[in-house]
Amino acid sequence: MNEFKINAQNNTPREINRSIKQAAKRKNRIVVENPNAMHYLVAGLTDPVEVVIDGSAGYFAATMIHGARVHITGNAGWFPADNMTDGEVIIDGSAGDGVGQGIYGGTVVVRKDVGSRTGEIMKNGTIIVGGNSGFMSGLFMMGGRIIILGDISDDAGESIIRGTIYVGGEIKSLGKNARIEELEDEEREELKEILEKYQFQVDKEKYQNFRKIVPRSARPFYGKETEEG
Amino acid sequence: MCGIAGVVFKDKKLHPVGKFMTHMLNALQHRGPDSAGFALYGGLGLKEHEYILNIEVKEKPGLLEEVKNRVDSAFPIKSEEIIPSVENYTIYRCKVALDSFSQLKPLIMDVDKIDDVIVLNGAHSFEMIKDVGLVKDIAVRYKTEEKMGTHAIGHTRFSTESIVDRYHAHPFQTYIIPDITVVHNGQITNYWKIRDPLERKGHIFETNNDTECIVHYIADKLSQDYSLEEALEQSVKDMDGPFSYIVGTPNGVGIAKDQLGLRPGVMAENEEVFAVASEEVALREVMDTSNIEQISPGESRAYTI
Repeated sequence: MNEFKINAQNNTPREINRSIKQAAKRKNRIVVENPNAMHYLVAGLTDPVEVVIDGSAGYFAATMIHGARVHITGNAGWFPADNMTDGEVIIDGSAGDGVGQGIYGGTVVVRKDVGSRTGEIMKNGTIIVGGNSGFMSGLFMMGGRIIILGDISDDAGESIIRGTIYVGGEIKSLGKNARIEELEDEEREELKEILEKYQFQVDKEKYQNFRKIVPRSARPFYGKETEEG
Repeated sequence: MCGIAGVVFKDKKLHPVGKFMTHMLNALQHRGPDSAGFALYGGLGLKEHEYILNIEVKEKPGLLEEVKNRVDSAFPIKSEEIIPSVENYTIYRCKVALDSFSQLKPLIMDVDKIDDVIVLNGAHSFEMIKDVGLVKDIAVRYKTEEKMGTHAIGHTRFSTESIVDRYHAHPFQTYIIPDITVVHNGQITNYWKIRDPLERKGHIFETNNDTECIVHYIADKLSQDYSLEEALEQSVKDMDGPFSYIVGTPNGVGIAKDQLGLRPGVMAENEEVFAVASEEVALREVMDTSNIEQISPGESRAYTI
C-alpha cells in the first residue's frame, strides 16, 4: 500500500492540511496520527484518496472535501463533512452538532450518537447515524436522505423542504412542515442495501419499524402549491 | 466564543486539579485569547470564617500600603502574598478571619472605594485565579499547576460586549451565598429581565456583564434550597439567548446549555472523574474520551461530591 503518515502533534491544522494535500498527489492512503481532537482536519481535500484520522477530530473535520474517503477512528466535533460535494466520511465514535451540514453529495456515517441539527440545509447525499440524533435534525433540509437507527429528538425535520429522514427509533416531535409517512417495501430494500454496505447489523423486524419524515409542502413559507419545485 | 471547562474528582480527595484545569484551558485557548480564569475548589484548607482576598492594585507609591492598612484595620491580616501581574498591576492576596460570611461583601466594598484598587474576589473554599492574557502565561504567574483540589471550573475568554480586564475575566462570583462561581460561553439576551427582580431582592451588581447575572441567578436559587441540578434546570427555562455555562459550588460542578443548543458542551464520566467542557479537546486532558456525550439543547448536568 502506498501510505503516508503525518504526526499531527505540535503542528497546526494549516500545516497538516498542506501536508495531506501534497501527499494526496502521490499516495493513495494517508494516516493522521495524534489528531488530538484538532479542528479543520482534512479541510478542502479534492483528491480521491483514503485518509485515516487515527483518533478524534475537532470541528469541521473533512469540510468541503470532494471525493476523498475519510475515516475518523474516534469522535468528531461540530460540523463534520460540512459542505462535502462527494466522498465518504466515516466516524467510529460519536459526533457533535451539524453532522453533514449543507452537503451536496457523498455519504457520512456516524456509528454512535450525534448532536443537534444533523443534516441541516443539506442538498443531497446520505447521512447515517447508528445511534440517536438530537434537536432539529434535518433543519431546512433541501434534499438527500438522513438515516437514524436510534431515536430522533424534538422538532425533527424543522422546515424541511425536500429530502427524507428515515427513523428506526422514536420520533420525539416534528418540526414545522414535517410529517410522518410509512415506508414502501422498495425503500426498506434501499435502506438494507446501504446499511449492510456500512456494516450495520439491523434485524429484519427493525426494518419494519422504520418510518420516514418528509415535507408537507415544498413551498411552506410563501408562494403557491402549484409553484412547488 | 469562549472556552469553558469543569472537572470533579469523585473520591473527594485532593488531586492536582490546577494542573488538570491548566491543561484543559490550554487546549481551549483557541476559543478565547483575552483572559483566562480558574476556580479551584477544596485545596485552600482554611479554618472556619477564614477568607482569601485577591485584590488588584495599581503600581503606585504608597497604594499597596493603603490597601493593607484598610484591610488590617477592619480584620487583622493573617498572611499575605504579592503576585506581580501585567500592565502595571499587582495582585495582593491576603488571608483574614471574619466573624461571619456576612462581613465579607462589606469588607470588599470598603476596599473597593480606594482609587485604582479592585477586589477581584473573596473566598473560603476555592482559590480564584483570573487575569488577562494567555493560559500558559497566567499558569506560570500564579503557579496553577501546583494547586491541589477536589474540583474546578475554568474559562478562556473571547470578549464580546464588555471590556477586557481582570475583573471581567471569568469566573464570576457572588456573595449571596458563599463560594458560587460561573464561567460562561455566550450571551443572555433577556439580561434585564433576569437582573431586575434580583436587584429588587437586594442583589448588588458590579458590572453589566451577563455572566454576573447568571451567577446571581444561580446563587439566588441555591439560597432558596434548590439543588444545583434544579437551579440549572430552571435557569435554562428562564434565560434566553445562546449560552452554555458551568457552575462551581463548594461541593460540585454543573453545566447548562440553551434550549436551541447554540453553544457547545460535551461531557465524559467514569468511576473517578466527571468532566465537562466546550470541546472534546479539553476532556481528553483528564480522561479517556472514547465515550463522550453531547449536552443536548436545554439540558443540564451536574455532579456533587
